[in-house]
Amino acid sequence: MSPDPRAGASDEDLMSAYVDGDDAAFRLLFERYAPILLRLTRRHLRDDELAQEIVQQTFFRLHGARNDFRQGSKLRPWVMTIAMNLVREHWRRKKRRKVTDLEVDTQAAPEADFMPLELRQRSALLHGALERLPHSQREVVELHWFQERPYAEIAQIVGTSEGAVRVRAHRAYTTLKQLLVSEIRGDE
Amino acid sequence: MTDASDRPDAGLGERLRELDAVAMPDRGQLFEDMFSEVKAQCDKSDRTLAGFLRSRSTAARRMLVLSIFAVLGIAGWFAFPVIDVEGRSVQWTASLVAFCILLVLAMFMVTRPVHLPALPRWQSVSLVAVAVGATIVAAFWPIPAALSAAHDHGGGFMAGACMGVGLLLGVPVYALLRLVDRGNALGNLVAAAAAGVAGNFVLKAHCAIPGTSHELLGHASVALVFVVGLGLVHRWIPSK
Repeated sequence: MSPDPRAGASDEDLMSAYVDGDDAAFRLLFERYAPILLRLTRRHLRDDELAQEIVQQTFFRLHGARNDFRQGSKLRPWVMTIAMNLVREHWRRKKRRKVTDLEVDTQAAPEADFMPLELRQRSALLHGALERLPHSQREVVELHWFQERPYAEIAQIVGTSEGAVRVRAHRAYTTLKQLLVSEIRGDE
Repeated sequence: MTDASDRPDAGLGERLRELDAVAMPDRGQLFEDMFSEVKAQCDKSDRTLAGFLRSRSTAARRMLVLSIFAVLGIAGWFAFPVIDVEGRSVQWTASLVAFCILLVLAMFMVTRPVHLPALPRWQSVSLVAVAVGATIVAAFWPIPAALSAAHDHGGGFMAGACMGVGLLLGVPVYALLRLVDRGNALGNLVAAAAAGVAGNFVLKAHCAIPGTSHELLGHASVALVFVVGLGLVHRWIPSK
């Protein structure tokens, strides 16, 4: 992608420019957020193609919702909320279709072609542990740990109180620790 | 950013960090292709009526829907004979008010901005259930039989006619709500319930045929047909 003189502009300035009809600003926003969103959705879905599709849908929805963007709003929670809504909707539909675990497993391990074997095994173990968390806790871990978002912002994204997010995060980390405890002892 | 004291302990943190370590290598071309597809999809959408309406601000979409509801309601009210004054009981008025409230609630749900957390499923399902339930309850408050002396109605045939009219009237409401829906979960079912309620509103206001059986078969069935029919259609042909 070609460099843009506004590469240092804030997300909100770019979004405002896009609302005013500047298509190049949309491209810059895509460049900033697509890799973040792809990591986020891949960890939730463990399916490269599906993750890419959800990233694209997120930007498509952002495009459709652009006229709701107001001065003073933060863009990041917007984008994250749209993506998380899409991920939740995907799981809801998947659950409805009663797809078997076997099918999920065949779609897993998207990094197989470029990860060392040991790392791949450890990654699979971690993914397995993350998948055993309830969805509400997994999305909090995703946003808190991997995306490094503050609790207040996570609360805004998932649509609950900050206190509830803290409780979910605490429970999730405790559960993860229990699930991985033998592995962690092996590292020490 | 996150507070260090909130983070999990070092052992777990180290393991979680490994997931970031296995992140994808640089995929510049992939992102380029993805962006091209998104841009094409956005441009294509902008050329359609649905794309145009969905990209209006939420306030504008809501004003548009409310205005169309109001215009249709007022035009219909005066264009066709409303049932006689004697038939306008408290229950009749309550039914119409309840239908209006349900329509407005459905409109708010369908036009909910996508950058807000999606509503819990139970809220949408509850609205659909209440909407169908309201049409059934309203059927148990029929207009007094005495008012129907002047009407020569042929039982099942008239129920079928009312149902047909109700379904026809509901279609534009359903279409309008789908046109402004940016993709809320269960938006199709909520729109279907709203269409059924809109059909019932018109039938309740104008139909002078008395009897619970007529209202159940000819009026309440409209909401049920919309919800069950469109629910099945969307289950078989899931929207994108």
